[in-house]
Amino acid sequence: MRSRSSLVHAALLAVAGLVAAGPGSARAADVIKFGVSTPLSGPAAPWGIPHKQATELIFEEINSQGGLEVGGKKYKLEVIAYDHKYVIAEGVATVNRLIAKDGVKYLSILGGAVVKANEEAVNEGRVLNLPLAYADGLVSPKNPYTFHSFPAPPETSTFWKWIKQNHPGLKRVATISPNDDTGWWSIKVETAFIQKLGYETVAKEFFERTMTDFNPVLLRILAQKPDIISVLASPAGSVGLIIKQARELGFKGRFIHIGQVDTSVVANIAGKANVEGTWVHGFVQAPLPEKIKSWQARYTKKYGEWNATSIDFANPAFAFVAALKKAQSVDPKKVADALSIVEFDNLWGKAHFGGKDYYGVGNQIIYPMPFSEVKDGVATLVVQRAPEGLDEPRKLK
Amino acid sequence: MTFALLVQSAIIGTSLGSIYILMALGLTLMFGMMHIINFAHGAVYMLGAFVIYYVFFQGGAPYFAAFVVAMIVLGIFGYLVERSIYRPIRGGIEPTLVALIALTTFLQAAGYPVFGQLDKHVPPVFPGTRNILGVGISIERLMIIPIAAALVVALYLFINRTRLGAAMRAIEQDKEAAALQGVNVNVVNGLAFAIGFALAAASGALMAPIFKLDPMMGEQPLLKAFIIIILGGLGSIPGAILGGLMLGLIDSIVATALGAEPAFLLSFVFIILLLLFRPTGLFGYAP
Repeated sequence: MRSRSSLVHAALLAVAGLVAAGPGSARAADVIKFGVSTPLSGPAAPWGIPHKQATELIFEEINSQGGLEVGGKKYKLEVIAYDHKYVIAEGVATVNRLIAKDGVKYLSILGGAVVKANEEAVNEGRVLNLPLAYADGLVSPKNPYTFHSFPAPPETSTFWKWIKQNHPGLKRVATISPNDDTGWWSIKVETAFIQKLGYETVAKEFFERTMTDFNPVLLRILAQKPDIISVLASPAGSVGLIIKQARELGFKGRFIHIGQVDTSVVANIAGKANVEGTWVHGFVQAPLPEKIKSWQARYTKKYGEWNATSIDFANPAFAFVAALKKAQSVDPKKVADALSIVEFDNLWGKAHFGGKDYYGVGNQIIYPMPFSEVKDGVATLVVQRAPEGLDEPRKLK
Repeated sequence: MTFALLVQSAIIGTSLGSIYILMALGLTLMFGMMHIINFAHGAVYMLGAFVIYYVFFQGGAPYFAAFVVAMIVLGIFGYLVERSIYRPIRGGIEPTLVALIALTTFLQAAGYPVFGQLDKHVPPVFPGTRNILGVGISIERLMIIPIAAALVVALYLFINRTRLGAAMRAIEQDKEAAALQGVNVNVVNGLAFAIGFALAAASGALMAPIFKLDPMMGEQPLLKAFIIIILGGLGSIPGAILGGLMLGLIDSIVATALGAEPAFLLSFVFIILLLLFRPTGLFGYAP
């Protein structure tokens, strides 16, 4: 017994020694860590899961080819992801953990309220942040390390021009959005845009993200007889309930979501027939270009199930990799400088960071945005448009 | 606000109030008998909804069979919670509260790996709408009212017309005296847990086809149930019924007239004002 015990101890010591001083320490130096703080559970999980998975897939493909060469050295890319449940306190805790404990210098946070709560930590820590979030003042000169990687209402509102041209009979718009930074800013921007186009905004309502019974709010909205209900930045679960309950109350008009929402998740809750005709930005199921079909095949092979939200939520990873290649440095400042000038491919085409004319800083992603309409239960691409009037003519490299 | 809108929001408020009543009844029953606030009530509501998801939607069983299964399964769970948590630490209100909060946290946290990270849904059981006084109301919501009323009547008859119900009332009035008269306090407490949990499960089962399902879905109804039992008077069943209806109507009519935020605030303002004049709530009594 004693000799067996000694052997076990010796083996454990050997393993501990290998872990402490072996390849781990050498490996750590060759890894670039990328933090992801995103909702992996709760109502916003349909956004958070593809955010994490798309980033992991892109990094895994690079790693499988030997890694990324930066400054003459090969690096493996590693995703460290935490679930913040779209709760601000959890978002702050996960970002603190990523920066302080995991030592990340680059991250991507999802959710306007969560990103705003972490502004100070990101700026003071000089951490490069590539968020997917809507919030007033997020893209601004005071946040030099934040490069917003998803089209926001100042960009996506451009879709209303297409609606105006193709559905001139629709005139009265009601808006409903979460009662937080994300919702307030989205409604403010969209309302200003559509009023300039001549639409009448007949109702503006806000709801707590925990709300499930929208009947009272919808009764107020429907009393104003809108032609379109804009659900702006609402998550898929809430959109499903809003559509279901509005249809039960007799609403026959259109819904529009210029944020991003998985219409298949919405249809599960609202019923397929109720979602028909809904317009949505950034979620397309068909027809998909060859490049996206290839992405779909790889994504489905890895995760078993296709998620079209991953198309646009791959932006932070594409932008980050392009900037690393451009900067040929792992210094966040140099990577940030590279992001300002690099032109790169995302899944929809050529993308860059710009928008200085609108935001005062060129840290907003710009590319031809896809808009779709749900037809026979499928989010079908109707138009692809770049935002207008946000970006000064500039020389990209 | 037009008359049609008022009628529509009143019917919606009554249906909402019916759910609140079911939630609050179980809570007030357990408080009345054992002086404990069951923080696990919201998690049990969630479990009731998920039983419907698996037995009715995934399993293909008839809705009402799944509804009964939810009440029985969660009722048994309630009895087991009494045996394994409440009974061993009886007498200590704080330890019981902490244990029930721990149980809630465990059930919610376990919900994500067990039920999945994405919201679930249950297809409509009573699809369509009905025109009442010129306004359209979802049949699904209308059906809540008679089902909840039937459960309330059944509970009333059980408590007032059966020996076990009499034993419950006796324990509520004086536990020691009831025990001296031969009432088996352990068994009756276990029964109260079972009934309380079954009612919470019934609420969740009724709401499953109307709302979406996720492990945290019980938090909001639990908050409402707390408000109701304070409004109606802690331990009072008639108070829970009246309080539930009042809160449902406030939530619906005020939110329709003024918006969701004022309605939420007004329910608290209403309670503060009421408690200033009746500190024991509508039907409560001083100990």
